[in-house]
Amino acid sequence: MADVTQSVNVFEQIRLVAGLRWRILRNSLRKKNNRLDLIGLIFTGIFSGIVVIGLCFAFYAGAYAFLSRGRLEWMASLFWGIFLFWQLFPVFVAGFGASFEFRTLLRFPLNLRAFYIIGLAYGFADFSALASICWLLAMTAGAAVAKPGVLPAMLVIVAAFILLNATLERLIGSWLERLLARRRTRELFLGLFVLSMVSLNFLSPLMQRYGASARPVFLRVLPYFAWFPPSLAGRALAAIIRLQPAGFLLNSALLLLYLVLFSALLWCRFAAQYRGEEVSETAAPARTAVRPIAGKDHGPDRLSLLSPPVAAVVRKEFRYLTRNGFAYLTLLMPPLLIMIFSMNFAGRHPTVGGKGVSADIFFPGMMAYLILILMAPAYNSFAYEGRGIQTYFTAPLRFRDVLLGKNLMLVSVLSVEIALSIAMLAWRVGLPSAHMLVATCAAIIFTIVGQLTVANWSSITFPRKMEFGQMRGQRQSGMAVLVAFASQILMGGISAVILFTGNWTGNPWLPAEAFVLLAAAAVGGYFASLDALTKLAEEKKEGLIEALCR
Amino acid sequence: MPEMAIQTQKLTRRFGNLTAVDGIDLQVAAGQFFGFLGPNGAGKSTTIKILTGLLAPTSGSMRLLGVDFAENPVEVKRQIGVVPEGMGLFERLTGPEYLKFVGRMYGLDRATTQRRSEELLEFMQLADRPKSMIADYSHGMQKKLALAAAVIHGPRILFLDEPFEGVDALAAGALKALLARMTERGTTIFLTSHVLEIVERLCSHVAIIHKGRLVAQGSLEELRVGISSEAGSKTTLEQIFLSIVGQDGTERPQLEELSWLM
Repeated sequence: MADVTQSVNVFEQIRLVAGLRWRILRNSLRKKNNRLDLIGLIFTGIFSGIVVIGLCFAFYAGAYAFLSRGRLEWMASLFWGIFLFWQLFPVFVAGFGASFEFRTLLRFPLNLRAFYIIGLAYGFADFSALASICWLLAMTAGAAVAKPGVLPAMLVIVAAFILLNATLERLIGSWLERLLARRRTRELFLGLFVLSMVSLNFLSPLMQRYGASARPVFLRVLPYFAWFPPSLAGRALAAIIRLQPAGFLLNSALLLLYLVLFSALLWCRFAAQYRGEEVSETAAPARTAVRPIAGKDHGPDRLSLLSPPVAAVVRKEFRYLTRNGFAYLTLLMPPLLIMIFSMNFAGRHPTVGGKGVSADIFFPGMMAYLILILMAPAYNSFAYEGRGIQTYFTAPLRFRDVLLGKNLMLVSVLSVEIALSIAMLAWRVGLPSAHMLVATCAAIIFTIVGQLTVANWSSITFPRKMEFGQMRGQRQSGMAVLVAFASQILMGGISAVILFTGNWTGNPWLPAEAFVLLAAAAVGGYFASLDALTKLAEEKKEGLIEALCR
Repeated sequence: MPEMAIQTQKLTRRFGNLTAVDGIDLQVAAGQFFGFLGPNGAGKSTTIKILTGLLAPTSGSMRLLGVDFAENPVEVKRQIGVVPEGMGLFERLTGPEYLKFVGRMYGLDRATTQRRSEELLEFMQLADRPKSMIADYSHGMQKKLALAAAVIHGPRILFLDEPFEGVDALAAGALKALLARMTERGTTIFLTSHVLEIVERLCSHVAIIHKGRLVAQGSLEELRVGISSEAGSKTTLEQIFLSIVGQDGTERPQLEELSWLM
């Protein structure tokens, strides 16, 4: 008869989970690449430590100043700052990737209470929680120095506030986890997140234009914030200083009510997980209606000019692009960026600099910037292939067909993007002079085709697997980034020098002629490189497969 | 002398100090259903990767259907189909899209690719989810799709790395029937599996690799010679395997050490 183990207490289990997380981190640093990450982690740690300690002083000074000068209502603003950081920061840094799944602990003999406590304790291990607790303690110290009698009440309020924040953060986290369990939602969320970050650039021009009229609306909404936890914490503290025990009790009771409500909701979420809730798409795929596939796709082949393998790769790349929500949404960025930059720097009413930049400078500058952004993925073009990369090596084709197909798709996307951007520029700023327009268009061909050759080499030599719809852990190989950076600086530098030669020599058409020649050379060089790259791919195939099939 | 589908000579692959495949000489005749067996880490997948062009050998040579792989890899690849370890699927395509992609990569025209992919999807019972991405398929469905992709161009040699893993009994039965029919029509099938009963039922010939070396090769009858079994019963492949691979005794777990479990 096998032994039956004794039940382990909750605190021992928490200790074991903490140890597990530590070992996962330590083991992940064993590899050579990850040791470089460790150096990055140390630098980030030092930087974060400085920020946290610096803000500790700021919260200490803020609490001390507000209490000693009798500005009690301002204490709520400190609680609000901590509250927003604690709740929003984890969403920004951890909402996208799979980190340690504490739900996997369910395979062990835990009861629901233990699962809840471990889940809650897990929330205290976040950077945002640790930093916020430090700041709340600094606030407590500042308040105690300013008004020593307030310390017991402050400790009660801070304890409730910490527990409330930790509970709410876990609640938001578990809801997000449920929402992001589906790949499509995750990609959409990530795309919207990136777009909203880009849209922040609109804030400055919008505030300049509509700031004055938005102020009364903001002031009208402000009183409603008084019923949220940070304001309640601030009011409870103010009440105790003003010797209004009823006010303290009322606000504290409301704060506790929030805590009870959030705890109950979190208990329900954890209970659902404890019962084995699984919402990811692969667990139980929904059956779709039977749909005959015969008769589809018999129309004329729109890619009939290409060889079958190249056409197949182009089609596959197009489908991958349309299914990568993040990449798809980032295609909206170039026209958006042109709008933002033209609002700030060019046209008749630039919000920065006062005087608008001329179209002859703005046009090539914007094009260079767009190519910089849009060419970046080409330096790791096999990133999303995954295990499919093996097909390229088992199929009877030369690798040049794969490169050609991938590059054709990228060039098509770039062409559409650049055409859209030129239309946006023409609308916002106006077109540049004819010689500058021709020179820039030829320079675009030169830089794109020239970079493709280097980018293909980089993709084969420094591959790094990436996952659709994930942000966390999605980094290019350091060498690929370096190659991209060097290549773009070189191409950009050459282009800038040639563009200025028109001014220096007094011959405005000289840059256009030079770029046409360089573009022709780049196209010739590109086709000449394909065979050499095919040979290289054959030599590097093991590394390529190993890196992408991981 | 039968026509040889696969012939290797002193095929070797080293990873640093580790010799994963150590000078193996394989002989697989055309039309054979060939089982390639070995314990975990013996070198089975490495051998398949070398034979299908996913890995270059450190030394040695190989000929598939009489063509030297090193000299004419494209011609060899045109004749073979592969279900590699991990299946090698593009997970962001739908099943029909993937089959069309593979068909075109192997040079089939559009109409043939379309027709064959429809037939294969029907056969593999994957036709009712034409809009689902492969990433959303179950493991068994992915396996069936990988097999469909491996045969869409009508290969003369089919390499299958654990083809029945995760496939339900119903589908496995249909697949076995399909594979048996393919061998009847002259296709050579080179299969690895840990399920020895499947290999015994399907394969006419077997090779066993252990620690990178080929320790046995031949028909099941040839391998049975000299291996004792219970009186009156036929020697099973499991007995053959254990008697060859477990000869040094290191592979058998020391059950007496786990007394607390008994």
